[in-house]
Amino acid sequence: MRTEHGNVAPVLLAKGDGPGELRADVPYQMAMILSRVYPHVPEGRIAVVARRCDEKAIAELSKRDIVDRDRIALIGLACTKEQVAECRCRDPCPETVDLGECSDPVVEDPVVEKVRSMPPEARLAFWTDQFRKCNKCYGCTVNCPVCFCDDCLLEDKTFTVEKGIPPGMAFHVIRSMHLADKCVECGECERSCPVDIPLLALRKMANDDMKELFGYTAGDADRKSPLLTTLEGDPIKEGDVDAC
Amino acid sequence: MPADFVLTTCPYCGTGCNFFLQVVDGRVVGVVPCKTDETSGGSLCIKGYNAHAFVGHPDRLTEPMVRRGEQLAKASWDEALDRIVAEVKRISSEHGPDSVMVLASAKCTNEENYLFQKLARVAIGTNNVDHCARLCHASTVSGLLQSFGSGAMTNTIPEFENADCVLVTGSNTLEAHPLIGARILKAKEKCAKVIVVDPRETPLSRIATLSLCQTPGTDVAWVNGMINVIVSEELHDEEFVNGRTSGFDKLKEVVKKYTPDVVEETTGIPADDLVRAARMYAEADGAMIAYAMGITQHSNGTNLVRTLANLAMVTGNVGRECTGVNPLRGQCNVQGACDAGALPNLYPGYQSVEDADIKSKFEKAWGGELSGAKGMTLTCAFNKALTGEVKAMIVFGENPMLSDPDIGHVEAAIQKLDFLAVVDIFPTETAKLADVVLPAACYAEKDGTFTATDRAIRVVRRAVDPPGEARADWQIACELARRLGCQGFDFKSPAEVLAEIGAVAPLYGGIDRDRVDSEVVRWPCPSKNHAGTRVLHEGSFKMGRGAFAVVDHTPPAEEPSDDFPFVLTTGRNLFHFHTGTMTRRSAKLQRESPEPYVEINAEDAERLGIADGASVRVTSRRGAITVVARVTRWIDKGTIFIPFHYAEGAANRLTNNALDPIAQIPEFKVCAASLEHA
Ligand code: SF4
Ligand code: SF4
Ligand code: SF4
Repeated sequence: MRTEHGNVAPVLLAKGDGPGELRADVPYQMAMILSRVYPHVPEGRIAVVARRCDEKAIAELSKRDIVDRDRIALIGLACTKEQVAECRCRDPCPETVDLGECSDPVVEDPVVEKVRSMPPEARLAFWTDQFRKCNKCYGCTVNCPVCFCDDCLLEDKTFTVEKGIPPGMAFHVIRSMHLADKCVECGECERSCPVDIPLLALRKMANDDMKELFGYTAGDADRKSPLLTTLEGDPIKEGDVDAC
Repeated sequence: MPADFVLTTCPYCGTGCNFFLQVVDGRVVGVVPCKTDETSGGSLCIKGYNAHAFVGHPDRLTEPMVRRGEQLAKASWDEALDRIVAEVKRISSEHGPDSVMVLASAKCTNEENYLFQKLARVAIGTNNVDHCARLCHASTVSGLLQSFGSGAMTNTIPEFENADCVLVTGSNTLEAHPLIGARILKAKEKCAKVIVVDPRETPLSRIATLSLCQTPGTDVAWVNGMINVIVSEELHDEEFVNGRTSGFDKLKEVVKKYTPDVVEETTGIPADDLVRAARMYAEADGAMIAYAMGITQHSNGTNLVRTLANLAMVTGNVGRECTGVNPLRGQCNVQGACDAGALPNLYPGYQSVEDADIKSKFEKAWGGELSGAKGMTLTCAFNKALTGEVKAMIVFGENPMLSDPDIGHVEAAIQKLDFLAVVDIFPTETAKLADVVLPAACYAEKDGTFTATDRAIRVVRRAVDPPGEARADWQIACELARRLGCQGFDFKSPAEVLAEIGAVAPLYGGIDRDRVDSEVVRWPCPSKNHAGTRVLHEGSFKMGRGAFAVVDHTPPAEEPSDDFPFVLTTGRNLFHFHTGTMTRRSAKLQRESPEPYVEINAEDAERLGIADGASVRVTSRRGAITVVARVTRWIDKGTIFIPFHYAEGAANRLTNNALDPIAQIPEFKVCAASLEHA
């Protein structure tokens, strides 16, 4: 990232380019920027300034062969205390820290706590109220580092009819399910949302379920998603399933 | 570099969001929001996210064409330009320069619009220059000019977020200006009261604090009704009224008869709701009014705008942060096109062409004699084309064959012209009828500035080259003027043009390209060391005292009848923009809203036996179209709505071109129609 025209812009530099006024204080999701640039750089290595969330997102992308991990060098950036607070981030420290110093995670998320304390009807009402603000900008999808399907399910007429806004509940529920084993809690969806729907809180709650049910957290470079592997294991024996 | 991110301004609505165009190998491949942009705050709407999609479309015009017999055939730039110049010269020498009309464009930059009007005024010698602001906010410009002395949005977009009350009327903000709508929702989250007055339910009205639904065409009545309540409950701001305005006594007299009960009868708004709305608005510390075409596009549009100005002044809601009267301008640069003087009665910076001193100032600056008679409006020009007074038109980037009321009439007018030249990026419905068509560069292929609805000057940066032989409109305008033998068009860059605008228009006096490159400046900005102006009319009005207008309710030009029992109102939806030349060529936007439709109330539909998705024929006194029915509860009984984006089901075949007498804006929002199974 660097200063351009009084703003901060993502930037890709080649050998010999002048760096300009580089900075690291604005939360561009660099894994998302990388996945936009990657298909257009057919060879060579790309170094990415990566926060912990970028690092995890890149792990998810490389597990799915969307990027080749060997072609990517990470420059680990530790977020400042203020940024960590702003992102309500519970996992802020990259594996190797090249820039900055690690800060403590934010353990409790007030939005999550608030929603969890509600009875089910109130929770539904809360989310319905929030989702009614949605104006279907697709910002939560476009800017998400791990949303990468060529044909987005949210654009499928079966699930979200094309009759204007707000889109139905299915829009958000499908998105939530579709990210169940990928979301790295970078918070970019929530930051991109023009109407402040607390999407990160929704993601955290779904991710907690994932952890509880399958013991899995996205962003783990070494483990495959359990959703892809549950059909492995021992062959079915007589009596395992209802006989006819 | 394999990927560049070029910061530029959105080509769609007047909000003026900035974003990065991602450029790879000379092609734009995507859009990335700009996190630090003041206006967008790093968010965009679906149109913004897809603003790259039409740029490289195969339908783009890439070569000049001239008519040979029935056909438009490829030609060289020289031939095409010379043809325009020869025809303009011939027609203007035979019939006088006022037989030529130039249509400027709210999609072009400030610099280009400045050149279009200069071309008309200096090179051709006529004040006949206008653009589609005539169709959207002409009544704002005239109405607010008369009430406040300045015809622009009084406050800024970011302020919506901190208002205590926002009154939205005639604006489907979440769809037409999504990021302004989003700010209004943020205000609501902070406990602001949001009042929406609209004949349709809109996504915003469904989450508003209070939503009122009026019969189309009865707006003066409910605004006067609110003032009636405010005055009779003594909620008005005595100090402001006495100290800063004139004409209050007369206003007081007039609104007397608009008691909530009377208003209920006229508008259908329940008396209690009206009283609540009036109190909410008047009791707030800072209350903002936002409105759009639902107010302006009426045959009494100017007066309607003035009643809203009355409401704001009565409560002292002008000249402070988070208050004001805020017209939301529809196109990326409709504000700038007006600022730059693409209006038949005003030079750049809203200076009257009929004022002799101003005229001589411009004659000196431009080095040529100017006409002292104000020119023709766009709506008037089509009428005059029919009668043969207008013989030639040069159209820059407009598509009147879809955007103007009563298309049948426009088509007949165009057929009667001796000569039509169209400069555009796509083969529009209008271009198909032209004698010469020139291929233009789109926003991603040129430099310049747009002025957003809140007067912020936003920079447009060239990201890629124009396709084929296409050229930027500013280059085309300069070349035409030079070939017409005119001096003063030797600009090497848009930056030089902007400098000239600053020199002749005091509003832009302190604006130059270097400054706005890294700073968001809002006009008026009279000098280089002036910071620009966020809130207009602080301390005093531009014209001294604010003028209350006395306005009475009058029925719309056309009311429903037995043959045409429905009130038809038109507008746009979230996914498309105006005549759809750009959005309908963007796959994702087209997917969201692929075909023309009419919204009809569920009860009306049931009575007529029309099911959702059925094909229906909608007819008015001017024409008929066939569209798909969308049965909904979001629209009042007796009212139907058709978006105007679709050529194959063009709402403007039906609309009425009854004009506001002052602003000459047509009544797009009300006409009588019938509906039946197709
Ligand atoms: S937090 Fe949002 S943007 Fe980030 S990975 Fe999860 S779903 Fe995607
Ligand atoms: S970012 Fe927000 S408004 Fe946009 S689609 Fe997602 S939830 Fe809806
Ligand atoms: S709100 Fe308007 S300016 Fe902003 S992205 Fe959408 S269309 Fe473009």
